Formats: sequence, structure tokens, C-alpha cells
Amino acid sequence: MNAVSTRKAAGKTWSKETRQSMLGLAMVLPSFAILLLTVIIPIFQSFIMSLTNDSGGYDLSRYAYLFTDKGMRGNILFTLRVTAITCMLVLLVSYSLAIYMRFNQGPVVDLIRRTYMIPLFIPGVIATYGLINLLGNHGWLSRMLEVIGVELPRIIFDEKGIIIANLWFNIPFTTMLLSSALSAIPSSVIESAKDVGVGRLTLFTKFIFPLSYKTFLVAVTFVFMGVIGSFTAPFLIGANSPQMLGVSMQQVFSVFQEREQAAAIAFFSFLLCSVLGAFYIRSMAVEEKDKI
Amino acid sequence: MQLSVRELSKRYKTGDGVSGINIDIQKGELVTLLGPSGCGKTTVLRSIGGFLEPDSGDILIEGRSVIQLPPEKRPTSMVFQSYNLWSHMSVYENLAFGLKIRKKSKAEIRASVDEALKLVRLSGFEKKVPAELSGGQQQRVALARSLLLNPAVLLLDEPFSALDAKLRHEMREELREIQMKTGLTMVFVTHDQEEALSLSDRIIVMNHGRIEQIAQPQQIYDEPASLYVAGFIGKMNFMEGVADGAKIRLGSLALPNVKNLRGRVTAAVRPEDVQLRERTDTEGTLTGKVKQVMILGHYAEVTVELAEFGIIRAFQSKEVVQRLQPGQEVGVSITQMTGFPVDEAKAN
Repeated sequence: MNAVSTRKAAGKTWSKETRQSMLGLAMVLPSFAILLLTVIIPIFQSFIMSLTNDSGGYDLSRYAYLFTDKGMRGNILFTLRVTAITCMLVLLVSYSLAIYMRFNQGPVVDLIRRTYMIPLFIPGVIATYGLINLLGNHGWLSRMLEVIGVELPRIIFDEKGIIIANLWFNIPFTTMLLSSALSAIPSSVIESAKDVGVGRLTLFTKFIFPLSYKTFLVAVTFVFMGVIGSFTAPFLIGANSPQMLGVSMQQVFSVFQEREQAAAIAFFSFLLCSVLGAFYIRSMAVEEKDKI
Repeated sequence: MQLSVRELSKRYKTGDGVSGINIDIQKGELVTLLGPSGCGKTTVLRSIGGFLEPDSGDILIEGRSVIQLPPEKRPTSMVFQSYNLWSHMSVYENLAFGLKIRKKSKAEIRASVDEALKLVRLSGFEKKVPAELSGGQQQRVALARSLLLNPAVLLLDEPFSALDAKLRHEMREELREIQMKTGLTMVFVTHDQEEALSLSDRIIVMNHGRIEQIAQPQQIYDEPASLYVAGFIGKMNFMEGVADGAKIRLGSLALPNVKNLRGRVTAAVRPEDVQLRERTDTEGTLTGKVKQVMILGHYAEVTVELAEFGIIRAFQSKEVVQRLQPGQEVGVSITQMTGFPVDEAKAN
């Protein structure tokens, strides 16, 4: 919004320009205030809190604990692992669905198009209970498989359950993002590529992927942040150890009542996300520069 | 025969489509598919390129059936209406891509790209990206990209329709020149009859999914095969007359009955074949009143209201027009016409 109003502000006289930029600032101010109160100040407070040690002084002992404690280190690695696997699977499935819907027609495509967004409308808690009922020890799936004499291996209450739940939560939105990116690629671009003699794989790696790369980055960012900070599903169907960072933070906060340590975990998660955020913003900036 | 289309048909769910399409194109010919939007010309072109699967019929290129092949395996190349270039690649990469796939050496690719850019008069544009080019330049690069593949048949789907009139004229001339130089066989789709008349070796006029006439531009203009072609190409006056043995009578006018028609006849008369005379008492003329005189540069269009036949338009030289006033009585004679039986007119 800021950029737009400053661009508009290129008026004739200085006073008009000043007036315009004042207006621009006034329009940005409310949203900035909300950002300040709900995000920036709490982060800062958590950071300060996370620096306080047991004896009331300030040091990095809370962070040292994150990496020295065996359980905690396991939690961090577990979280990164689940996040990475989920990101890859979500992108694989969503890209496949989006490409299938973009380049095919017929009843199957219509069915996918009509149904793929349904998970977005089901609250997370309910979906997670659904998964427990479906995949649990004596859930529908195991009962159905019992009939033909197959024993269902343990799916939920470990890594697999969390990943499956996160797939359910993330695939619809990611597919929607990628679908819209693919439909923005003109048919003549794809057809002219085929015309030149490009095969299917090259078509994807040299045309479809580069032309939807920006949206791909947005999707990766969304899925990464969503999964790394996910709570409901890991809390309900995760194992006791290792835990996702969100669950671990909750436990440290309410069960162990160690607010400072919880703040350190929170700040660390924030750092993990900001790494990806920085990468995303940087590549967007490069693209903008290319345009100019 | 470079390209043969045999009994091609394709119906869409909406009921539109083409049927009974038979086309034979010689090597080095530039043939235009001409017709209004929705007549099926693009359907025919896309079927040749492999982007559409026809319901029945066959397509042969250099004597070999290509109907089973996907676009990437056909010896054709297509220039699309718009969004032709790959926006994420430079001009050089756009041109080189097809050659890279064909495993040509770097030096060979560089030489071919240079030559192609020279041919479309864009030398030195290698490093630009499509967004930096004007519409005309983009279409020229697209043309160059297709030329580089040295296709057996080059397909052009209204490639200049998004350009302004002046540029369109220039591009036409350039395309014709390139075609002369390379001797490529080209199929060009357009809805612009002027473009078709000026470019083509032969024109295929299409209407409602059928071919109305295949002929050279001059023949299409002078001897339209159907009332539809007569009305679609150029300006035309339509008058109703009666066939009377060897003559077709339009009021007091009698013209030769070339096609041996019988009964009522629709006479199609070009405005340049209508003569105006100031005196009205001469034998063998129709009488009418000048309604309007429109100057169109080196000639003028005169609208005359005939007592028996309604409005008729005539192209006249500037000299003749200077003596004409709106409301003036004139004698109208016709030097040439094409007759069509009236029933055909109803069917259309």
C-alpha cells in the first residue's frame, strides 16, 4: 500500500506531494500499529524473556538447552524432518493435481475440481479426529482390512500420522495456488513448445516450472510455515517423544511452567521461519529488479 | 503434394465444427484459409498442426500420414495469434531452443539463429527478452523461431491480427518476401479478406464448417462460386433478375447468361462494374437518383437509388464524381455480373 501511495504522490507541486505522502502514511499507520502490537512487540518480549536465566540474570542458557538437551534436540530435528517431508509431498501431489487439471478435461477433472477444496472447510480438530477414527488401532481401515486378513501397521501416533494430517490440511490450498498459476500460462506458450518438439519432461522443467516458479516459492513458504508451527494435529495424534516444536512448547509452558524456556522455543521457531521468509523476499526482490 | 487433407471432419459438443474438408497444397505454395469467425478455419489449421484430434479423415504431409502423430513429432510449425514467445527466455534462447532439442552443435545454432534474425530484420536483438519487444517484433521473432525448424508446412494462425493496420501491411509484405526466399509451404488463417487477397497463391473460402471455394485470388474475386463467396469477398451489389434464354434481364438491361440459368436469378454486380451516365433517356440503362457521394481517396463510392431495384453502389473516378450532385437523375448500366439461381440464395 505504501508503494502505491508514494507512486501516486508524484504530483506537480511540492505541497501536493507532501500532502499525498502524509495521506499515504496515515493509511499505512493502522495496519502497522496492529503489526506492532500483535507481532513485533510480543516477539521482542519473548526474546527478552528467553534471555533470562534461572538466577534472574541474562544469558543464552535457554538456547543452549535447546541444543544440548537430548530430547529437545530430537524435537527440533523431528520438526524439521516432518516439515521437509510434508513440503515435498504436498508440492508433489499439488503440482500433479494442478497439472492434471490444467491439461486434461472430462469427468475426473470435474470431480477433482469440485472436491479438492473440501478439506479447507473442515475444522482441524474434526479432521484430526476423523483421521484417528479412520487410521487408528481399531479404526475403519483396520477393520476393513481385517476382513481380508491384513493387519494394519501403526500409522498414527507417530511421524506418519502427523504427515498425513498435514497433507490433508495443506494440499487443497497449495493446489489452488498452483492451479491459478498454471492457468495463467497461455495455452499458446505450451502449444508452441510442443510444436518445437519439446517432450513432456522438458515441458515441465523448462516451461511450466520456470513460468510458475514464483507461485511455487509462495507455496513452499506457506506449507513450511504452516507445518513447522502446526499444533492441533501433532498434539492429538503425535507421539509423546519426539514432539513437534509447537507441542513441545505448549508442554514446557503449561505442564512444566517454564515460561522462559517456552519463549526460547518460540523465538527459535520464529528464526526458522524467518530464514525461509528472507529467502522468499530476496527472490521476489530479484524478480522485481529484473522487471525494471 | 506437400500437404493433403482428406475428408477431414471434427464436431464439437456445441454442434460447430468442420466436415468434408479436402485440400491439396503444392510445395512452396502460400494458401489462405479465409472465413468469418466460427467458420472452422482454425479447426482445420489446428488439426494439421496436431493440436486437435479430428473425428475422421486423414492428413498427409509429403505423402506420409501424420494423423496419429502428436504436435512435437509432426513436420509442421505453427505461429500463433499472440503470446507466442516464451517470456522467461531471451530472444536468442527462444530461437535456439528447438535446435538444442535437435542436438545441433553450438556453432551451428549460433549461425542459424543469426541468419533467421537477419531474415526477419531483427539482428542484434538476441539478448532482449520478449517483454522488451513491440507486438510486431514479437511476431517476427515467433516467425523466425518457426522458420529455424525448417518445417515441411508452416502454419500461421491469424498471426498479424493483434497488430495495427500499418504494421499489418508491412508484415504481410515481409512474410511474402520470406516465403519467396525460403520457398516454404505455408497455410495462413485469416478472417481479413484483404489480407487473403494480397498474400495468397490460392484462397480457401470457408463458411459454416464447409469449403465454399478454392481458387486463386483473382478468380475468387471475379468468379465467386457461390452467393456466399460473392458477398464475403470485396463489395458487391445484389439485384434480382430473370433468366431469359441466353440473356439475364435486369429491368431494361440484358446481360449474357453465362451459366445457363433458368427462372429467377440473383445478380451479383461489383461496384466497379457499374457505370453512371448523366442522361437518362439512353436505351439499355436503368434510371435512378444519386443519394450520396463518398470520396475514398483516388476514387469515390456513389450510392444510387434505382426505381426498380433499390440501392446500388458504384465506384467512380474523381472526374465523373465532380459532375454528380445528390438528388440528380442518372442512367445506370452494368458491364459485368455473376448470376446465381434464387433458390440457392434462400438456402444460404
